[in-house]
Amino acid sequence: MFLRTEFFKKVIPLALGFLLLLCGPAAWAQSQSPPMANAQAAPAPSLTAPVDVNAAHPPSADVMAKGDPGGTLTGNINDVPVSDSQKGLTMGDAVNQIGQNKVAINFVWTLITGFLVMFMQAGFAAVETGLCRAKNANHTMMMNFMVYGFGLFAYWVCGFALQMGGVGGVGNLGGAAPLNSEFSINLFGKSWGLFGMHGFFLTQGATFDVAVMVLFLFQMVFMDTAATIVTGAAAERWKFAAFAVSSVFLAAITYPLFANWAWGGGWLSALGANYGLGHGYCDFAGSGVVHAVGGLTALALAIMVGPRIGKFNRDGSSNAIPGHDITMVLIGCFILAFGWFGFNPGSTLGASGSGALRIGTIAVATMLAGCTGSFGSVFYMWLRYGKPDASMAGNGLLAGLVAITAPSGFVNTVGAAIIGFIAGVLVCLSVEFLDRKCHLDDPVGAISVHGTNGLWGVISIGLFADGTSNYGGSWNGVDGSVTGLFYGGGAGQLVAQLIGVVTLLGFVFTLSFIINILVDYFIGQRVSPESELEGLDLPEMGAVGYPEFVLKNFGQTSPASSA
Amino acid sequence: MKVLGLLMAVAGWLLPVFGLALTESTAARLVLSVVGLGICVVGILGVLNPAYVKDAIWKK
Repeated sequence: MFLRTEFFKKVIPLALGFLLLLCGPAAWAQSQSPPMANAQAAPAPSLTAPVDVNAAHPPSADVMAKGDPGGTLTGNINDVPVSDSQKGLTMGDAVNQIGQNKVAINFVWTLITGFLVMFMQAGFAAVETGLCRAKNANHTMMMNFMVYGFGLFAYWVCGFALQMGGVGGVGNLGGAAPLNSEFSINLFGKSWGLFGMHGFFLTQGATFDVAVMVLFLFQMVFMDTAATIVTGAAAERWKFAAFAVSSVFLAAITYPLFANWAWGGGWLSALGANYGLGHGYCDFAGSGVVHAVGGLTALALAIMVGPRIGKFNRDGSSNAIPGHDITMVLIGCFILAFGWFGFNPGSTLGASGSGALRIGTIAVATMLAGCTGSFGSVFYMWLRYGKPDASMAGNGLLAGLVAITAPSGFVNTVGAAIIGFIAGVLVCLSVEFLDRKCHLDDPVGAISVHGTNGLWGVISIGLFADGTSNYGGSWNGVDGSVTGLFYGGGAGQLVAQLIGVVTLLGFVFTLSFIINILVDYFIGQRVSPESELEGLDLPEMGAVGYPEFVLKNFGQTSPASSA
Repeated sequence: MKVLGLLMAVAGWLLPVFGLALTESTAARLVLSVVGLGICVVGILGVLNPAYVKDAIWKK
């Protein structure tokens, strides 16, 4: 009790001091900001006279033949394709090329950021394997490896269609027009979009389209992030076969349904247009859609599968089961932080047009929240336990990044820093609460990092959105910028976010739980106690992760174990 | 108890959703959302999870 009182005596003034330090510059920045209307440049004069394209004076063939070491000659009027060689270059050709250039920039941006997000799978694999015991290394790594294939296949078959089949066009990618069929019902006098109906196998509904392919790749790697979160919470006792089937259902049904409601033109995104709740449910890059869906599915699995043998004593007290490689954990965290620059800035789906230049702000907000997240968790652990715990520093970084994922497109840097810091402390409190009060065993902290902080990220939009973002003048069909409670936007946006949170808890969790109950019934979720004690590498995968490190006891051979 | 926990989670979700049609007041919708959130959390962590912990491996 004394320790607790001393702790709060220390932490409260420090936390308040930190927040004041952050809020001071925020207030100053607000007072310095000119009104939005003044910041707009005057519109360009309309083009009435024909443009003399011959005035461009491209370099001659002789000049080009000498090479262009300075890079000043390459790329000129000769590179603009003409539609009619008899007429030569026309204004129409030039304007079409401008349009294609914009879409090309956005294609490349979206694809490259998608590739970054794909590489996050390596980060998740490293973090989860490092936090597990050596005797389960092969099994944990294989779950993280194969979730990519299982998820991708299921998402290609039907997940993408259910999620984005009725999105109704993506301007930054040139339209993606074939994605125009949403199944809706009429409820309370309003249309409620429930799931998309175009894009099964990426062919049905004329969806063999270049823009649809780009959108599929980007959305697929997001879905796979959600799927791989689950493997951490059920690690070291989950049957590989059960994992495979469960991952397919997550990719094919659970994730796409909620993602449709939030991003695919579904009912949550329409809460603003239909019910006047701000701009409807907003989730810029997926704190809710990706991380909370993964985190709450992880919670369902952790409840159902139960704790590892040796995690809790008969009196309910818990034992720490340290991972086998903290260096792998922290390297994995850095890989994830790197990949997050694809996750959040990539969610503009472009770098040109419709306010997409905000990618710089989004990247900085992402960086800051990750930094203050790790700072918050180290700060908490140091005060609470006397040491800056390395694994919780990593989880704090991830918690900050998870929390800023939804608001990254709508908040300023000060808001991002505060959201990240709160997430860093919150992940520590959540880990303690789930471990000590709920007796839930989550070997890697996935529920706290992705579930708890995914929900916090969703809520934070309703508080910290500063009203300066402008993605083409509207969001979710509501004109103006997303503005939270602290910036004069009223409580409407906060209510929309809270409805998103209860939907995650009430619908996504329940659906995940029911699906995994069925998997448990037909396949069985948990390995046998003998397999668990031996380590899952040999019984489940047929080979140990570290064959050089084998202990020989009493004439028997078994993989090395820290248990 | 397991079924009750799941039903509470669903009820916590449906409360603010149906509340959209019951009232146009933002304050009332805020209250319904917070109450719904509480019901969901209690249903999952307060009812469903203890029903599983009751038979947990470490109690045997």
